[in-house]
Amino acid sequence: MTTDYKISEMKMSEEQTGKWGMVIDQDICTGCQACVAACAMENNVTFVGEVDSGYGRSMHWIRIERFWEGEYPEVKMTSNQPMLCQQCGHATCEPVCPAFATVHSQAEQLNLQVYNRCVGTRYCANNCPYQVRAFNWRDYQRPEPLPNQFNPDVTVRRKGVMEKCTFCIQRIHKAQDKAKSEGREVVDGEFTTACAQACPANAITFGRVDDPKSLVSQMARAHGHGVKHLEELGTLPNVTYLKGG
Amino acid sequence: MAESKIVDILAVFPELEPAADAIEQLRLLGIHDDCMNVISGIPVTEAMLGRPNQWTNVPRIAMGGAALGFLGGFFLAYVAPFLYPYPIQVSTQSFTPGPPTVVVLFELTMLGMLLSTFLGVFLDSYFPNYRPMKYVPEVSDGKIAILIECPHADEKKIMDALNKLGAESVRPAEAQHL
Amino acid sequence: MAEKNKQHQEKSHEEHLREEHLMLDPLPRGQMNDMVMESMNTTSWKFWVVFAILSVIVAVYLFYDWAVLIIEGQGVAGVMRPDYWGIFLVNTVFWIGISHAGTFISAILRVFKAEFRRPFTRAAELMTTFGLVQAGFSVFMHMGRVWIAYWLFPYPNQRMLWPNLHSPLTWDLLAITTYLLSSTMYLFLPLIPDLAMARDRSTGWRKSFYKTLALGFRGTEGEWTHLRNAMNIFAFAIIPVMFSVHTIVSWDFAAATRPGWNSTIFGPYFVVGALHSGMGAVIMVLAIVRGTMKHMKYFIRPEHFEAIGKLMLIISMTWAYFFFNDYMVQWYGGDKWTRQLLHFHEAGPLGWMWFAMLVFNVVIPWSVLWNRKWRSTPWIVFIVGLLINVGMWFERYIIIPVSVTINRMPFTWRLYEPGIEVPMGIGTLAFFILLYMAASRLIPLVPVWEVQEGQMAHAIKKFGRETVVTVSDLE
Repeated sequence: MTTDYKISEMKMSEEQTGKWGMVIDQDICTGCQACVAACAMENNVTFVGEVDSGYGRSMHWIRIERFWEGEYPEVKMTSNQPMLCQQCGHATCEPVCPAFATVHSQAEQLNLQVYNRCVGTRYCANNCPYQVRAFNWRDYQRPEPLPNQFNPDVTVRRKGVMEKCTFCIQRIHKAQDKAKSEGREVVDGEFTTACAQACPANAITFGRVDDPKSLVSQMARAHGHGVKHLEELGTLPNVTYLKGG
Repeated sequence: MAESKIVDILAVFPELEPAADAIEQLRLLGIHDDCMNVISGIPVTEAMLGRPNQWTNVPRIAMGGAALGFLGGFFLAYVAPFLYPYPIQVSTQSFTPGPPTVVVLFELTMLGMLLSTFLGVFLDSYFPNYRPMKYVPEVSDGKIAILIECPHADEKKIMDALNKLGAESVRPAEAQHL
Repeated sequence: MAEKNKQHQEKSHEEHLREEHLMLDPLPRGQMNDMVMESMNTTSWKFWVVFAILSVIVAVYLFYDWAVLIIEGQGVAGVMRPDYWGIFLVNTVFWIGISHAGTFISAILRVFKAEFRRPFTRAAELMTTFGLVQAGFSVFMHMGRVWIAYWLFPYPNQRMLWPNLHSPLTWDLLAITTYLLSSTMYLFLPLIPDLAMARDRSTGWRKSFYKTLALGFRGTEGEWTHLRNAMNIFAFAIIPVMFSVHTIVSWDFAAATRPGWNSTIFGPYFVVGALHSGMGAVIMVLAIVRGTMKHMKYFIRPEHFEAIGKLMLIISMTWAYFFFNDYMVQWYGGDKWTRQLLHFHEAGPLGWMWFAMLVFNVVIPWSVLWNRKWRSTPWIVFIVGLLINVGMWFERYIIIPVSVTINRMPFTWRLYEPGIEVPMGIGTLAFFILLYMAASRLIPLVPVWEVQEGQMAHAIKKFGRETVVTVSDLE
């Protein structure tokens, strides 16, 4: 009997889900980078320029990872892999920040980054197994007319501050506020993140993963080949990747 | 009035042995241990000179400081997380995690203990003290000085005795700026 | 005739013992005081030239570059994804390591009554304090927004926001603060009688300087009792603090989910590594002090290098043991990222550093320090100490920027190219030497009263026909 008990407990922890989640279908991702551009527009992500970008300081909250197999000229491209903050349920980045600058939102089940509180120890980025945190290495200049398209809903960060994907929390809040004023719940598909909105191939789906009827939950289950990255670390990520379907 | 006046005598001895003899002799002459003080350039223990044990509060102050430090650590670990307007959750760790709490309690206990040990030396020795004091610089050359408080009437008798016991110099002590 | 010859031989053996051991070669206290005072008050033109050069290096490389770093941001350093941690943290760990030797010598050797410690406890303890200052500088350089570094300290504030006690960095801050404060106090307590000695025999600004610092110490029975009690408490209590400091530093790495970092043996491995570089640094400092300061050849003798050399050999062996322990288990585990990392350590572009680390930390100490004659020779142990320090710096470099190059996201792999960290690191080294040089001319570097106490406790005794050294337990 004890064995049964243990198995059920293990299952529970595996099935533990957050609130918001994403499904990314790598098979239909074309690697067009539209999500990267849309994310930068939506979230006031700065432009680091050619030199710093070439030196591993590219500032993106989502990136398209491209891999290949074999040596040139017999190179076989594998599918593109959009990588963004996995909004882990058991996030390794959170406990290591000495200043409580990255904490867990209990209401939205997201990893929050509090820019004003960040002192720039960069421990969170070091401890992120997905390497999706971006640091403001300098105060980068935004060439004209880029300053005219700032999103007023999102803070502009300055040098010395860590930042990362927020699942477009400003859009989540806007939708929730609207639903609340109309006296209803947020409907699945009512809004989506900037990356999902911009994706021409519809490779990104966003929604409530705690609602089994939502599109994102159905997609995660449907094909039976959804994987979570580095699941073995026990980080409980909220992004499911579909590949080889 | 003149008879009851207390005077201070400072006798400097070159070695440990005559100093110990002198203390014994002074006791026979009716000088109480409380009226003698030894000034030395190295830590000469009370046992070497046959003197009563010195009282020190340093270990007690250290323990008190350790307790205060522990309480400070306890506050940070068990009280502070509940003072926020809303609880701050990191990962799936509890608000008062076990092992990190041990680290915090340990560091703050040690900090409290060592700070108060240091403070204890200051309190017990009345440091810093820049007032004029009875002192001879020869002490830092390894000589041993005995500072004696005695009635004015006995001054001559005691000075003679000290001279006989091999004191390098015997003189009335005067407070001076160090 | 034979009888006479034998007597002669014994006499020379006794003389030899006195020549070898400072504790058997007593001088009058007044003379020792004068020697220490003279060594402190004497500066040659060479001293001032070195002092001036170091001051310029500190001003430009440390403070000017730091201003640039603050104004421009961390971009002027070489850090990037995935090497979010670079040389600044390598230097932090390195300087904390250096600081461990002072406590090791003045606390552990005091607790175990190792008599050879007496003349150089202060020289070693000064390294602790000044090394921690550099460690603090390095960690603040590393911070992206150093101007709000005070947010990491627990202080009551309007929003009741306290530092996150879940974070190893917060423990680090508490531990390093505790260690810096307690080692400074532990440096100061045994210094008070020597400051009083210096006060009694100086004039002018030095007189008021020592008078202020000596706090009115006379050497009464009470003062000595309080001082001895406090020093005893410190000697015992500072040892676990010292161990905790470098263990917590190692937890910064071991608590992370990085391949190669997540190792349970990192705590003791780091502590031994700290002692390894620290002892190497102590022996270098002693060789320089002995070579450049007046009268120091009397206080610091080959016997001291010999004793420290023995400790270095033992620590080197312990380090090798822990290193192999860590390596073996990582290798055996066979995790694909760890395997990749180990391969990168040895065969990557910085593989030479990995091998140099093993040569400098193990091969050279083992092949030199076993020989009593070699380890008693100041210039030989100076070179060994220097190489150990280079090797230990390499070790930290391999653990931090080289290891974070390999992570579980191969897309981000990239080699670290240091920027402004290098001159700033040189700046901390220059600042350490500068502080040490200034201190060597401002405070008595040899604890004269401790040396005299030791000389009183030592004697030569005959067991049968043999002349031996005896120590009486004065405390």
